[in-house]
Amino acid sequence: MYPVRGNLKEDVLVKFLSALFSISVLTLFSSGCTTVVIDEYRRSSGELAVGDSVVILGRRHSSDYETEPDLIDCVGKTLHNPSAGVNVIPERQFVDALYPWFEPRTAPMHIKSLDKLMDIPDVRDRMAEYGVKYIVWIDGSTETTSSAGSIGCSIGTAGAGCFGFGTWDKESDYEAAVWDFRDQELSGKISADAQGTSYMPAIVVPIPLIARVQNNACKGMAAQLQEFLLPPQSASR
Amino acid sequence: MNRLLNGIGAIRYFTLVALAGLLAACAHTVSVDGEFPAPVGDPHPLTVGVYLSDDFRQFTYSENRDDRDEWNIDTGRAQKNLFETVLGSMFQETINLAQYPSDLPQGLDLVIVPEVRELQFTMPRETRVNIFEVWIKYDMHAYNQQGESVAEWVITAYGKTPTAFLKSQEAALAQAINVALRDAGATLYTGFERVPELQALIANKQRALSMKQTGSDK
Repeated sequence: MYPVRGNLKEDVLVKFLSALFSISVLTLFSSGCTTVVIDEYRRSSGELAVGDSVVILGRRHSSDYETEPDLIDCVGKTLHNPSAGVNVIPERQFVDALYPWFEPRTAPMHIKSLDKLMDIPDVRDRMAEYGVKYIVWIDGSTETTSSAGSIGCSIGTAGAGCFGFGTWDKESDYEAAVWDFRDQELSGKISADAQGTSYMPAIVVPIPLIARVQNNACKGMAAQLQEFLLPPQSASR
Repeated sequence: MNRLLNGIGAIRYFTLVALAGLLAACAHTVSVDGEFPAPVGDPHPLTVGVYLSDDFRQFTYSENRDDRDEWNIDTGRAQKNLFETVLGSMFQETINLAQYPSDLPQGLDLVIVPEVRELQFTMPRETRVNIFEVWIKYDMHAYNQQGESVAEWVITAYGKTPTAFLKSQEAALAQAINVALRDAGATLYTGFERVPELQALIANKQRALSMKQTGSDK
């Protein structure tokens, strides 16, 4: 009698563990659908040379949204590739090193405003020290545009569980303006529009199928920026 | 009878403890501890004394309204760091004064005394925008060596932060206050020369220095 009971318990345990494992794997590898559209307007070709640096900065002057610091961080980290010739200075480090000239209130809004900034010898020296060739200003945000469905969870004597279905749409809209700092001109603009729908079916356990909208916009923008900033012969490396 | 009284006493004690616990759950404490970078630029040719009062160094904003939770926001240390760093880089020589107006060291062109006039903040559920916002207003006073007022001006600072990448309301508010303090530093640094009385003072000092330089060259 006892051995049979033991086997039954083991069977249930094995089934439960395998179900849990399947759910975990499903969650890890599944995600909602995302579409990304990248547009480019180019006025001049990239001219990054050895020792040159790129600064990626977020615009923060708008009152109703803020370009997310994690998006700027993501684009910077994805783009940073010294072996390919792209050296990115982290946003926080650069903004601190040139305090207070790149704060939301004082940052130059147009490339012509750089003239005034360069009249300050210490600022000029600091920029030269960093080898800044391009300043990339990213403006925009990711927002949840709509959501539907509902999920209910309950705890009872038989156990706990959730049932229902939820869905939500996210939309990213970013524009990157590339300033050639040395030639004091606008080199071009890149826009990234991404949208995706995330789903959350819940049958006892909620299974999130997340559309990584902001992350996909970041990767699309970083890939396009790399192509944009490097001279044609280096880009083929 | 004694037992009954003891029982009532115990119930009263537990009720008070539970009530205190519930009240504490609605109170939020934020302590802002920012470090700020030194501004990049040429210092003004002035010797300036800076007096930060105890009220300023330990400034805590407390709010307890019916339509909001209780908030205690300590910005004293952060704003002390900011003003010491920014004013310390703005002038040729800066002396931090332990007291004012007595025992002033000789040779000061100006004594600067900041004061917090107002602090306000909004939460995302109030504005329906996914952003924490903070406004701080400072009254700035500038005196001469004799304690007479030279100039008075106002600094307004604004800071915001989205909620997405922050974990708690307290952390988000502290982040927004740090942004506002950075903004205050930027306004203090870039706006100092725009105050007419101070602009005239700097011009006079520069003129005096250049005349002295010309005299010594001759």
